[in-house]
Amino acid sequence: MKKLTKEQIDKALKVLKMPADSKLITHLNACVHCGLCATSCMYFIALQNDKYTPARKVELVASLYRRYCTLTGKIVPKLVNARELDEQMAEEMIDILFGACTMCGRCVKHCSIGVDIAYIVRVGRQMLAAMDLVPATLQATVDAALTTGNNMAIPTEEFVDTIQWMEEELLDEMNDKNARIPLDEKDKHILYTLNPREPKFFPLSISAMAKVFYAAKESWTLSSKMYDVTNYGLFSGNNEHAAVIAQHLYDEVKRLNANTLVLGECGHGSRATRWEGPNYLGMEYDFDVITVVELINDYIRSGRIKLDKSLIKERVTMHDPCHLSRNGGLESELRFALNNSVSDFVEMTPHGFDNFCCGGGGGQLAMSEYNDRRIKIGEIKAEQIRKTGASIVVTPCHNCIDQLMQINHTYKLNVKIKSIAEIVADALVIEK
Amino acid sequence: MYWYHWTTILALSICISVLFWHFIRLISLGKPKDYSRKSGSITKGVVYSSTKAMVDHKESAYLHIPTYFAGMVYHIGTFVSLFLYVFFLLNILLQISLPPWLVWILVAGLLVSSICGFSLFIKRLLLKPMRNLSNLDDYLSNFLVSLFQLFTLLNLLYSNNIEAIYYIIASLMLLYMTVGKLKHMVYFFAARYHLGFFYGWRNVWPPHKSK
Repeated sequence: MKKLTKEQIDKALKVLKMPADSKLITHLNACVHCGLCATSCMYFIALQNDKYTPARKVELVASLYRRYCTLTGKIVPKLVNARELDEQMAEEMIDILFGACTMCGRCVKHCSIGVDIAYIVRVGRQMLAAMDLVPATLQATVDAALTTGNNMAIPTEEFVDTIQWMEEELLDEMNDKNARIPLDEKDKHILYTLNPREPKFFPLSISAMAKVFYAAKESWTLSSKMYDVTNYGLFSGNNEHAAVIAQHLYDEVKRLNANTLVLGECGHGSRATRWEGPNYLGMEYDFDVITVVELINDYIRSGRIKLDKSLIKERVTMHDPCHLSRNGGLESELRFALNNSVSDFVEMTPHGFDNFCCGGGGGQLAMSEYNDRRIKIGEIKAEQIRKTGASIVVTPCHNCIDQLMQINHTYKLNVKIKSIAEIVADALVIEK
Repeated sequence: MYWYHWTTILALSICISVLFWHFIRLISLGKPKDYSRKSGSITKGVVYSSTKAMVDHKESAYLHIPTYFAGMVYHIGTFVSLFLYVFFLLNILLQISLPPWLVWILVAGLLVSSICGFSLFIKRLLLKPMRNLSNLDDYLSNFLVSLFQLFTLLNLLYSNNIEAIYYIIASLMLLYMTVGKLKHMVYFFAARYHLGFFYGWRNVWPPHKSK
């Protein structure tokens, strides 16, 4: 690594020295190093190395805080392990905060004090981003979203072709000219968003959701340019980039004059748009923002769609995306959708708020240099799935789906991985 | 009043002032400004965070029962010792005698809690992952508080002989509280608040069933 310049160090330390509120100094001062968080972290469990203990992740950032922001750390740094921000420290931070944490937040629940470890990891990433030290692979994903509007840099023509192909499939299946996938239509009730993995790898999930919209007689549209629900700025730690990406969707809702922004099946994207987006932009949104799971549940509750649970006879289990359940409050909503769609639903142990991350979060899928670790920690999820005896795993997150498909292959689980829209579409009773 | 009484009153004043400064700083920095549309209740989240969330399916508790139990007893012992410290100070003027049965209950309790404290210290010293996680502050904090509990116990039994040492140890601990991790006495409550705020806002806490 190149020697850090004073400007880089100053920018990083500014993150610590200018807290917006009391949250940062609270969590930086609260850890007592009891070490009991170790067994709640999948990296520690899978890799059996104490450097992955969540408290040590916090300590990386807290030691810098003590060195530069506290009197004790400045006078007697050795007493409180106050460390200098130098190249060695920066490399350690990159390896641990980017390469060994999915920011899933499982350790937060189990911390004996209540330190928001995932938040501190994000602060550490913010410091690295301020020094331009985000791993190039992750930064490339952010850059693609900044420059093309979607993180996979899918050209608009390719996206439009895919959507038209899916629309033709839908027309054939429904045998109704009203079965459409509208693009760029103004004044619709809903602007629906996608994870770019859908048009790229899983277009059937788009047609599945289109089928649900068709059954519910919804007024909706997709955007041909700004449809990406993801925001890897959440993971890179660069709030300016995160704000630009959040602005893309905000502006598109305004341009198309939609009433409601519906967040497609993406855990972190839902979090980044619904909970963090307004904070990145520093303003309240003047339109509704809901996840697709909540929308589907509204359809079920109001009778706008009818489902026949008996259509899916296989045993189904659910993987909770961390940013929807633990960090998004949708644990029971996810179960409502699934319980109405399948007849044999079985939970993983643990599940819901306590669920283990699949291993693909935190930008891990984008950072290929950490692939071995990612697949290794996925073994925990593989064993959870295996123990349920399920043949279908449902999860409303396309990043999770990607990771689950890889661990399905690696650990020979022989299961099908589906999105919520796909499972609901399979159980859908279309009334004509 | 002797010199060690004045010394400890000075240490106590410094400790309270510094901890109060930390508290005021937290208050003045304020709570997070969240522009997202609130889905749950912050109050309910904070109440849950400060009560059931501390025990509800908590791995740091049920996967580590001996350590968790020792930690709980140790903290109870600390608060009892602090309470007795204030009582001893006031008793210089009040001259109240504690009933013998109460003294023996306190002695037994503090014996157990100080043993718990020293056990946690030894655990930190012996286990490599704990050593890797710890700094000098961790050892000093743990040792000083355990010693404080032990000398509270001894002061209950032999105050005529060890009163000076007791107050010196108490003063050292109070002064150290202002620089080391013992400050978590203030930040612990703030951390529970912020967790409650975060999860309450998003309707994660308290846990709920879908209708």
